[in-house]
Amino acid sequence: MVRERTSPLEPDPVIEFYKKDIDRTLIRENLRRSVRERLENLLRLQQFREELERAGRSAHRKR
Amino acid sequence: MTDFRKLLETLGQAGVEFIVVGGVAAAAHGSVRLTADLDIVYRRTPENLLRLVEALRPYNPYLRGAPPGLPFRWEAETLRRGLNFTLTTMLGDIDLLGEITGGGAYEDLEPHAIVLTPYGFACRFLGLEKLIEVKRAAGRPRDLEVIAELEAILEERDAG
Repeated sequence: MVRERTSPLEPDPVIEFYKKDIDRTLIRENLRRSVRERLENLLRLQQFREELERAGRSAHRKR
Repeated sequence: MTDFRKLLETLGQAGVEFIVVGGVAAAAHGSVRLTADLDIVYRRTPENLLRLVEALRPYNPYLRGAPPGLPFRWEAETLRRGLNFTLTTMLGDIDLLGEITGGGAYEDLEPHAIVLTPYGFACRFLGLEKLIEVKRAAGRPRDLEVIAELEAILEERDAG
């Protein structure tokens, strides 16, 4: 993977606040994957969301 | 569901000059967040508009969320007259962006793009730092968590 030049970003206190809640174990795990695997995971997430939506609609109709 | 692979392949095979931005670029860099569409910044040269139109034509692009029957014509002239288009296609949803806030046009972003080959063919993706910069520039409250994650990825990447 080609990396772009690294330059320091000015810390933003609001973003730093949000950063405290980020699960870095997920990020580290994902960074160990190839780009292809990351995009395939994204596709699986999409499929899962669609299945949930379908199930939700179906449950709503039955009520 | 959006078939990212097929969309990227279709655009690449047609020789369309584009840079992947947004959620798919974030996912390529390591984001675990869900995104439903492919966002690209496309080069607005006449030749590239023609390539883009021909590439997507077989997949019936139409304005996303618009009622059917609008006089929307999928042609280069339509792209030339507009700038950003949110489309739905048979391959899924794609946003064609002529410019993005904080990043500008294709030519402005190209120096900040990196070439990745996730599926065996080369695609330009916006670099992680520039992606953070444009998200910050957009200033949307809903992006705050996204920016926080992207910055954490940058930190983890640089530490590793």
